[in-house]
Amino acid sequence: MARIVGVDIPTNKRLEIALTEVFGVGRQTALEVCKALDLDRGMKARDLTEGQTAELAAHLTKNYTVEGDLRRQLAQDIARLRDIGCYRGLRHRRGLPVRGQRTRTNARCRKGARKTVAGKKSVKGMK
Amino acid sequence: MGRSIKKGPFIDPSVARKVAAMEASGKKGPITTWARASTILPEYVGFEFMVHDGRRHVKVAITEDMVGHRLGEFAVTRTFRGHTNKKEGMKVGH
Repeated sequence: MARIVGVDIPTNKRLEIALTEVFGVGRQTALEVCKALDLDRGMKARDLTEGQTAELAAHLTKNYTVEGDLRRQLAQDIARLRDIGCYRGLRHRRGLPVRGQRTRTNARCRKGARKTVAGKKSVKGMK
Repeated sequence: MGRSIKKGPFIDPSVARKVAAMEASGKKGPITTWARASTILPEYVGFEFMVHDGRRHVKVAITEDMVGHRLGEFAVTRTFRGHTNKKEGMKVGH
């Protein structure tokens, strides 16, 4: 078990997969990192030496926005939309889909679990 | 898909003309417009626009953060008056 970039403890998986445990690192970035540091992407994360771990951490923080910084940036981007009173900000405030999806049905990720309204006709019953 | 960079930002000619006129007179609006698709340029910061929402013109004061957005994003076109209650729903529905 190795620690990279703060709290992340990648598992006994291949390095290319283990790295994706870091928030902000997907398959693409993981492969790029392996290549840049000349590490075997198939090696197990537990076989990393101390030096390699440190190298990985340094490389990630230097060249990518990951973990807390990335989360903060995303929150800031959304906060900006909320503050300027634009349509997208409004949708964020209301907790509705932002990109023009339908809300008559679906949109459950944004709206959360169904809130049943008494007396409302079912979707099947509607013409 | 975003707009091609080659074309530059879309500015409605009428908006460009009205802003130029305002700048010449030294005032900062309000500029009444129907051009909701017109992009907000950095030069517009501090101006006031009256953007059409389909019925009337809504006052929009441009701040720095709004640059790059379009005028229409700040004038909501829908009026949500709440859902129908049970009885009304029965009458209107199906």
